[in-house]
Amino acid sequence: MDVLLTSTAEAFRLLFSGNPEIWEIVGISFRVSSMAILAAVPPALVIAFTLAYGSFPGRRFLISLFNTFLSVPAVVIGLTLFIILSRQGPMGDFKLLFTQTAMGLGQFFLCLPILVCMAHVSLQAADRAAWETARTLGANRLRAFFTVLYEIRFGLMAALLAGYGRIISEVGASMMLGGNIAHYTRNIPTAIALETSKGAFAEGIALGIVLLFLAFVLNSLLQYVQGKGSINP
Amino acid sequence: MIEDFRIGFRDISKSFGSNRVLEQTAISIASHDCIVITGNNGAGKTTLLRIIAGLEKPGHCEISLDDASPEPWRRLRKRLLKSVMYLHQQPYMFAGSLLRNIEYAARLNPALADRESSVQKAISWAGLDGLESQSAASLSGGQKQRVALTRARLCHPQILLLDEPTANLDSESRERTLQMLREFRDSGTAIVIVTHDPGVFSDLATSKLHLQDHRIKADDIWAADVVELDSVRQSKKR
Repeated sequence: MDVLLTSTAEAFRLLFSGNPEIWEIVGISFRVSSMAILAAVPPALVIAFTLAYGSFPGRRFLISLFNTFLSVPAVVIGLTLFIILSRQGPMGDFKLLFTQTAMGLGQFFLCLPILVCMAHVSLQAADRAAWETARTLGANRLRAFFTVLYEIRFGLMAALLAGYGRIISEVGASMMLGGNIAHYTRNIPTAIALETSKGAFAEGIALGIVLLFLAFVLNSLLQYVQGKGSINP
Repeated sequence: MIEDFRIGFRDISKSFGSNRVLEQTAISIASHDCIVITGNNGAGKTTLLRIIAGLEKPGHCEISLDDASPEPWRRLRKRLLKSVMYLHQQPYMFAGSLLRNIEYAARLNPALADRESSVQKAISWAGLDGLESQSAASLSGGQKQRVALTRARLCHPQILLLDEPTANLDSESRERTLQMLREFRDSGTAIVIVTHDPGVFSDLATSKLHLQDHRIKADDIWAADVVELDSVRQSKKR
C-alpha cells in the first residue's frame, strides 16, 4: 500500500513540476490519436451513410463485417499492419514501420469500425424523411448529406468520443507499429507498459492519471452531449 | 406565377420484391391542376407520389415534358427533385427553430432576390408570426403543415405533392391548409393530393383519380377526368 501511495504522490509531483519527458509523451499521444481520428471521420461517415441509405448487394455482409471489426483486438490490427509495413511487406518500401505514421495507421483502423458502426446506428435511427425533405426542397446530395449529419450530431459526437477513447488508450498496435521509441513513438500506454516493467511506478501512475483524467473529460462531454439530445425538454 | 407546363408520366411500374404496387399506369399533370387521388391502403398512392417526386426509383417509368418525346425517369430525376416537392404525411422538421427550417428552404432557392424579406413575408403568409424562435419540433401538427407549405412557397415548385395533408388536423387548421393550397394552385403550381377523405378537397380539386389494382382507375374514368380537367382549364381561361 505504501508503494502505491508514495508512487502516486511522486506521480502528482512529476505532473505538476512540468516534467518535460512526461508531457512530451502526453503530447505524442494526443497528436497521433487526434490525427488518426481526424483522418478516420470522413471515410467513416461516407461508409456509414452508404450502409444506411444505400441499396446494393453485399450491404448486410459489410454491416456484419464492420460489427465484427469492433471486437478485433488491437494487437491483431498491429500484427496485420506490421506485416504489411515491414520490409518484406507490400508497403515495405515506404519505410513507415516504427514511425508515428504507422501508429496513426493502426489507430485509424482501430477507430474506423467504431465510428462506422455508431454512425450507422444513428443514421438508421434517424428519420429517413430528413434526407427526403432536404432532397425535395432542392438540396443536392452533398448538402442533404450534411443536413442529415447535423440531425444526428449527438450520436456522431458520441461515436467520436468513443473512438477517441479507444485509440488514445490502446497499447498493442502502438507498441508493435511504433516500437516505443523515446521522444518519437512513445505514447502514454506504451510508456506505462515500459515504466511498469522497469519498476518506475511513479512515471506509470502519472501517465495513468492523465489517461484517467482524459477518460473523465470524454465521458463528461459524452454525458453533456447526450443530455443535449435528450427527448426531455 | 408558374409558367404553363404539362408533364406526363407513362408506363409507371413498381414492385417491392414480389409485391407489385404499380403496373403500367399513367398520370398527366399540368399547371393549375389539383388532382386528388384516392385508393385503399397499400394501393400504391404514396409510392406513386414518391416516384413523381424523384424520391423512389420505379421499375419502369417514362416522362414527357410538354410535347417533347418521352424520356426515362432516371434521366429526368434531377429535374424532378428540383421542380417537384413532396410533403410527407407528417412533415419533417429539421432540428432548431421554425425560422431555421424556413431559412433552410430559402437558401436553396438562388432565385430569391431578398432572402430575409422573402422569409418574413412567407412566415406572415402562413400566419406563423411570433413563432420564429420556437423549436420546430414542439409545433402542433397544423403548424408543422404550415411550415412545410411555407418552405414549399419559398422554393416555387412546379408540382406540389401532398400525402394526406389534412389527416389529424382540426377544422381550423384544415381550412387554413386548404386556403394555402388554393393560393398555390392559383399561382400555377400543380397539386397532387393523396387522401382517404376526398370530400375535404371537393372545392379545390380539378380532377379525382382512383388507384386500384395497381393502376389509376379504368380508362373511362381517366378519360372523364381529362375532359373534366379541360373544362376547368377552359373556364379558368374565360
